[in-house]
Amino acid sequence: MLHCNKVIFVVVPLCFLGMTPVFAEPNPGEELFAIKVLPLLKQKCFQCHGSGEDLKGGYDLTTRMGLLKGGESGEVSVIPGKPMESLLVSALKWEGYEMPPKENDRLSEQQINWVEKWIQAGAPWPDAEIIAAYRKKAWGERVTKEGVLVDTSGGLDDEWTYRRYQAEDIWAFQPVVKYEVPDRSHPVDYFVQAKLHDHDFELAPIGDPKVLLRRAYYDLTGLPPTPFETSQFVNAWRENRQQAWNSLIDKLLASPHYGERWGQHWLDVARYADSGGYSNDYERSNAWRYRDYVIRAFNEDKPYNRFVLEQLAGDELADNSVRERVPQANSVTTARRSGSYNQQEAEWLVATSFLRMGPFDNAMVLAPQARQIYLDDVVNSVGQTFLSTTMRCVKCHDHKFDPIPTRDYYRFYAAFATTQMAERPVAFLPQENQINFESEQAHVAVMLKNAETQRNIVYHKQETAAQAWFAERELEYKDEGARQKLPDDKKPPRHVGLNATDKGRYKVYKQDVWIWPRRQERFQPMIQGVYNGMDDPFRYPGSRKLRIIEKQDSQWQPASFILTGGALEAQGDSVEPGVLSGLGLPVRSDLSNPYLLPNSINGRRLALAKWITDDQNALTTRSIVNRIWQYHFGQAIARNPNNFGGKGAKPTHPRLLDYLTADFVENGWRIKRVHKLIMTSATYMQSGQRSDLEKLQQADPNNELLGVFQPRRLTAEEIRDSLLAVTGELNPEMGGLPIRPEINMEVALQPRMIQFSLAPAYQPSPEPEMRNRRTIYAYRVRGQADPFLELFNQPNPNDSCELRDSLTVSPQALTLLNSDMMTDRSIAFAQRLIDERETLEPQIKRAFWLAYGRDPVKSEMNRLKKYVNEMQEYHRQVTPGSVKYPTEITRSLVEELSGEPFNYLEKLPVFENYNADAKASEVAAETRALADLCLLLFNSSEFMYVY
Amino acid sequence: MNTTKLNPNRRDFLFGLSASLGSVALTDMLQAQDSLGPLTPQKPMHEPKAKACIMLFMEGGPSQIDTFDPKPKLNELHKSESKSTAGLAGGFRFYVGSPFKFRKTGQSGMEMSDQWQFMADPEVADELCNYRGCQAESLNHPEALFHMNTGSRLGADPAIGSWATYGLGSVNQNLPGYVVMTELAAPQGGARNWSNGFLPAHYQGTRLRPQGSPVLDLQPQSFKDRKHQRRALDELAEMNRRHARLHPEHKDLEARIENYELAFRMQMSVPQVMDLSGETLKTQQMYGMHNSETAVFGRQCLMARRLVESGVRFVQIFAGGWDSHDYLERGHTSRIKAVDQPMAALIKDLKARGMLDNTLVVWTGEFGRTPDNNRRGGVYSFGRGHNVDAMTMLFAGGGVKKGTIVGGTDEIGATAVENVHPIRDVHVTLLHLLGLDDNKLTYFHGGRYKQLSQFGGEVIQEMIG
Repeated sequence: MLHCNKVIFVVVPLCFLGMTPVFAEPNPGEELFAIKVLPLLKQKCFQCHGSGEDLKGGYDLTTRMGLLKGGESGEVSVIPGKPMESLLVSALKWEGYEMPPKENDRLSEQQINWVEKWIQAGAPWPDAEIIAAYRKKAWGERVTKEGVLVDTSGGLDDEWTYRRYQAEDIWAFQPVVKYEVPDRSHPVDYFVQAKLHDHDFELAPIGDPKVLLRRAYYDLTGLPPTPFETSQFVNAWRENRQQAWNSLIDKLLASPHYGERWGQHWLDVARYADSGGYSNDYERSNAWRYRDYVIRAFNEDKPYNRFVLEQLAGDELADNSVRERVPQANSVTTARRSGSYNQQEAEWLVATSFLRMGPFDNAMVLAPQARQIYLDDVVNSVGQTFLSTTMRCVKCHDHKFDPIPTRDYYRFYAAFATTQMAERPVAFLPQENQINFESEQAHVAVMLKNAETQRNIVYHKQETAAQAWFAERELEYKDEGARQKLPDDKKPPRHVGLNATDKGRYKVYKQDVWIWPRRQERFQPMIQGVYNGMDDPFRYPGSRKLRIIEKQDSQWQPASFILTGGALEAQGDSVEPGVLSGLGLPVRSDLSNPYLLPNSINGRRLALAKWITDDQNALTTRSIVNRIWQYHFGQAIARNPNNFGGKGAKPTHPRLLDYLTADFVENGWRIKRVHKLIMTSATYMQSGQRSDLEKLQQADPNNELLGVFQPRRLTAEEIRDSLLAVTGELNPEMGGLPIRPEINMEVALQPRMIQFSLAPAYQPSPEPEMRNRRTIYAYRVRGQADPFLELFNQPNPNDSCELRDSLTVSPQALTLLNSDMMTDRSIAFAQRLIDERETLEPQIKRAFWLAYGRDPVKSEMNRLKKYVNEMQEYHRQVTPGSVKYPTEITRSLVEELSGEPFNYLEKLPVFENYNADAKASEVAAETRALADLCLLLFNSSEFMYVY
Repeated sequence: MNTTKLNPNRRDFLFGLSASLGSVALTDMLQAQDSLGPLTPQKPMHEPKAKACIMLFMEGGPSQIDTFDPKPKLNELHKSESKSTAGLAGGFRFYVGSPFKFRKTGQSGMEMSDQWQFMADPEVADELCNYRGCQAESLNHPEALFHMNTGSRLGADPAIGSWATYGLGSVNQNLPGYVVMTELAAPQGGARNWSNGFLPAHYQGTRLRPQGSPVLDLQPQSFKDRKHQRRALDELAEMNRRHARLHPEHKDLEARIENYELAFRMQMSVPQVMDLSGETLKTQQMYGMHNSETAVFGRQCLMARRLVESGVRFVQIFAGGWDSHDYLERGHTSRIKAVDQPMAALIKDLKARGMLDNTLVVWTGEFGRTPDNNRRGGVYSFGRGHNVDAMTMLFAGGGVKKGTIVGGTDEIGATAVENVHPIRDVHVTLLHLLGLDDNKLTYFHGGRYKQLSQFGGEVIQEMIG
């Protein structure tokens, strides 16, 4: 594709060029007013101080007289020639009055300066014709000292279309430039050192091998090294550092745990969850297939452009492939119905679940609104995820800071206008893990049966009363469904024979009878995916399984408009599908409409995906490289990885980012290559310490120079996974149905409102090996976070997470010390130590190696031995109570219609045959004492942080 | 308040959902720091009317027509066909008259349905400001709940209580600045209703759980006593101090050590504030704690007073069951009964203690209800649908105009027609009363300064006393 940044498209007619100006000699004051001050007043002031009805403070800024005179306070606002004495200026500076009143609208110093200069020049206000002439003159120059023009498809007004950008604000829209790196320099170090040298610093020395080993392990796998791996690496390092380090990185990149760790990063951005959120929090029954697809993609080092293309348009790839493979007229329709796809096609289809990741539940929203909610979400998510561009604000107006007109938003939106959600049949792939299908299915069947039995009891009671009612009146009995249509006096009252409790229960059990069959869908060869087709305004798309509408009108065309202010009913200009014009990367060589996509039902989304994954797409390519960098260093080069726009942070090392990006694209979009390049740099291998640290931190408090490696706290998943790894409980089985770890039982059994009812209680998986798998496989319900993970900043899946928080709050200490989960892990760890070593000293030593990868020093050993001995004394005096898991619970709920409270029983059959972790009451006092020590290790900062 | 905390300072790590109990060590640390910690009291932006806010959230959407906004016209139309197209339900619709009688109460003549017994006490009624002009946007419970609680329907933004604590800090460092109480079941949308969103985690609402442990994992395992825990903490502190000595470059480590001490002290402070045994029997009875119908909400209202008394900035109580699509009379009777006495007691109690002037009490749902209904299960069902165009809210204390009705709805209560404002203006007004300016209470996130109202709003002046 041709890169057109330098080519001027006549997108907006530049018809004024060559016109004779109406002014003879340009007057600088007038020019300043026409070009700067008036647009500023329009943008920032007229909304409240215009000539409209709702004039604030009686101050009208739309005429010179009004502007000078001031408002109802009676004070003169502007004295021509005397900016310092003008009330307006002090208000703009927020000295006295504070105008404009919103933080977001506050004027920059430069803008205030324009106003001051203009007042200084006598506050001239030429007539409209002259203003127009000045502006047209200005628009003819691409680059001025005020900034550059950016060609776009055009804003809602000329003001926006011809506004100027500072070069540094549109850095991300510029083509990637690969700067030269001298031979034998490591490119990363070359750029980082150059900047450090500018500030008279050098890189910190290379870190200690054990520290580096742990850093690399967590970075690439999210797990700690084993004691064996530690000693092995330290030996290898002693012999040949470089070789040891290189082969360590290769080994870790080849580990299947790599995909689990880096897949998690992707799922954070994509907002993965196993449910849909909002009122019903419906199951996304087959989302796990997408999760596994992501993990596989990382492990296979799938080129990123393929990865993106498949997620955005895998269904189109599959359709095209079917069309080629099966040359019958209706082959695509047949395949969609039957799900008869080959493996490659199936994989592509699974990838499209990306387009279903957002929270969505359109129950009680009208179909057109639901459709808009969905499409807005997809547009915004695609922008953030792949292009590091915030689109949400462009829904209602041209972008305030970036060269993205609202027209482009609706072009983008139109690219998805034929994208329809559907639960599609797609056969399981051989690489998809079907472990525990039978037992999980059996569990769901039991729950469904329970619900049916309970519902039938109440139904029977109601129908008995109904029969009596009919019999009394000598009318023919009709069942609940059949009597619906009868007139009110010919049928018994609703809920006849039921008291408030019965009514409440009836509703809950009916809801359960509806919920559990949906959970059976998890075992079906199905995906939450999309397909291209027509809108069906009559379909109620919210609650039921969404099916492909087979009967398609091939003539159908979605009507796409700019929705003014984002309102469905306010249709503005009609638009065709298209891409972001401000990037200057055309879709096609047709110069009159270079940014438009095909407008056929099929093909528009695929063409968009191809544009996004074009080698020249500077946003996409920088976006992923910047994210990769961030996960290695804890901070990105451009520190807002979801926002490369003018308000996002500017790159600290723009040339480095561009170099890595160019290298990435030249070498086939391979992510593992970027890891290797980064991790072999001295920058990555730096110590976290250096002798002149204080001086460096003073000069560079935010570590923008990268002169030291920043420590980080383990993520929520890393904490849980590491605990299991250290205790030896971790089951490395990969993929498949979501697992259900034991979560805080109070939360698991706590009632959770969903529409009409309470959600069924959370029941953990019955066997330890089912529970003790990596956290990425844990069942993720939007309405019920695992409190442990949430406490350690697992992000809310309703919003794309560009970078995790790691704030320390006191409830973390409570949970790490007191929770059942931590208690169970510490006992398991103690048991492991006792199994593996016979006496206390070797046990402590082993514990240190497993948890920290080192020997305890003598003082530590002595203290801890003393501690364990004291604890043995303590535990010999105490008999812990046994732990019982409830096999049923009584729940109370206020019936939402009648407001009356009622109770009902919920069975928890999992606990009837539950293989619990070892509890304190089941182990000896010595084990409990050792577990106390283990708990300390797990609580220690040394365990929690990576350096 | 345009703080961009890229690198949170060390103090940030100290304060969690709960903070210090005023230990000497901590006070020293505070003084040693040059910048303010996240929950340290902040100066309001202007002279505040209220120092704290108690928000009573009636989940499900109470009916304006059957509580505080009488519509006699509806009784004339009862069971006649309605052509309204508001809401979602299709099919035959009919008007539903209120099953309750109305009367004017107090000197000010506040209108209330006769179900309100305690609120009708002139001593309470004359403190009220009834606002009838608010319009919501979302017909669906969780989105509407998110909207009322966070200013956004998406469920990812900071709650109003988070904004208030972000703006004002907390007077008492021993307790969280923002406390939430719910029924056993969390409301629809769950913790997103009191989440800190993009604000730092210190500002999230702390839910005091109604059963079991008020804060998860607050107490040690049953086989470990407090001495055992103290011993473990001492040993842990030793380990962590050694580690911190080896990593002088790592600034979070000291804070982490102190954090364990805070947690240890929380184990005392939280049960203390929840222990109502120090309250007189008379007080407990005034709140209705002796009566099973009012016991839960009564206890929570009394707790709310205690929390505000101890300096908590924002307290929210969620009380559900207001979604009367059917059985309106029974449903609203029972819901009103559950909250009437406790609410009235709260207002009276605050007043008696001289706290009402600077404590804002808010009573609201996520939306109102329709004057008509559709047939359910094939029969006339006397209930009401969701209504975003009209609702009713009560305010008391905290600088609102007493004994007034602000705004109004049309003659059947279908839509607000007078002094109509969107939810964001109610939010702006709430912040205003607390001494905060929504336009300046901003946080830089995702490329712009964000604020509770999203894009600004206006103070509803008529409500201000």
